[in-house]
Amino acid sequence: MESDTQQIALGLRQGDVVVLEALVEQYQYRLVRYLIYLLGRRDGVDDLVQETWLRVLERGSSYDGRFRFEPWLFRVARNTALDAMRKRPMFSLDSKDDDGVRPSPASNAPSPFTLAARTEGADRLAHSLQALEPVYREVLVLRFQEDLSLQEISAIVGAPVSTVASRIYRGLATLRPQFQGETA
Amino acid sequence: MNANNHESFQRVIDESLAGAIPAEREQSLREHLDTCAPCQEYLNANNKVIAGLGGFSFEVDPSLNAKVFASLRLPAQQLQAAQPGRRRWLLISLAAVVLTMGGSFLDLQFGRLIASVFDIQRTQVQQGLLAFWIVPSLCVLLLFPLLPLLSKAGTRREEGIL
Repeated sequence: MESDTQQIALGLRQGDVVVLEALVEQYQYRLVRYLIYLLGRRDGVDDLVQETWLRVLERGSSYDGRFRFEPWLFRVARNTALDAMRKRPMFSLDSKDDDGVRPSPASNAPSPFTLAARTEGADRLAHSLQALEPVYREVLVLRFQEDLSLQEISAIVGAPVSTVASRIYRGLATLRPQFQGETA
Repeated sequence: MNANNHESFQRVIDESLAGAIPAEREQSLREHLDTCAPCQEYLNANNKVIAGLGGFSFEVDPSLNAKVFASLRLPAQQLQAAQPGRRRWLLISLAAVVLTMGGSFLDLQFGRLIASVFDIQRTQVQQGLLAFWIVPSLCVLLLFPLLPLLSKAGTRREEGIL
């Protein structure tokens, strides 16, 4: 794996278009998914994806090839999203509610999670996931979909490992009632 | 088994799913789960949440990759044009070495001759060569290889601010 990441680091340092295009092909879906979990919406995500890849090109020399590429990419994506939110403050990533749940959006349009649910389990989670605070959704996708370690997630979100762990516990606790009381 | 014990093991289940416990505690958790139905049910509910998270498939605009490629091409070319190649750095450094050595050689071999032609002291020739040839060549030799490092440090600082 290390040689792959070293190749990526070298390609990014040189602004190598072939390396960049291969990265876009490989990580595009995961980047889109991460941003949807982070923002809880589908519109505007494609613009953020483009902006993220531009930043990857501009700041590619800061990627250290000794580490995995995904955490660095998601950190760049997160910073891009935060900058966009500062310019257009629709909502914040900060958690304000004690129960980790925020009010449903006023719009009647189906959430991106409802539209993307392909299994019965996902269908049952869609509504709760939309209502969950972004900081909890974010750690859930990074831990259980991206399979990142607590340390890697901590580096992405800029919070201590203990905070990340608490967010995972609370995120699971909010979604768990959908399945509790069932037999295995 | 009392409720406190379940709570304590359910906390361990949370930690295990988050990847926050060492292997030896995983072992004791497995042993407990073999005999405890409520904790088993708690774990199953968590596993169903995790499986549910894997049941989403988001649509990605098929033209998005092409748009990204198009937006990257020009900045990538500009970046490449702005970056001198490694070979260019090597040539500049080599030229600086040759110039430094050439200045020293000139001073050693022809210093006296130059002094007599221009009717000046030999030390003045040495000082002139040192000030206008050897020191500038040495500066080029020392500073040029540092430029990429300084540039990288600047980019890192910028990334840190972000």
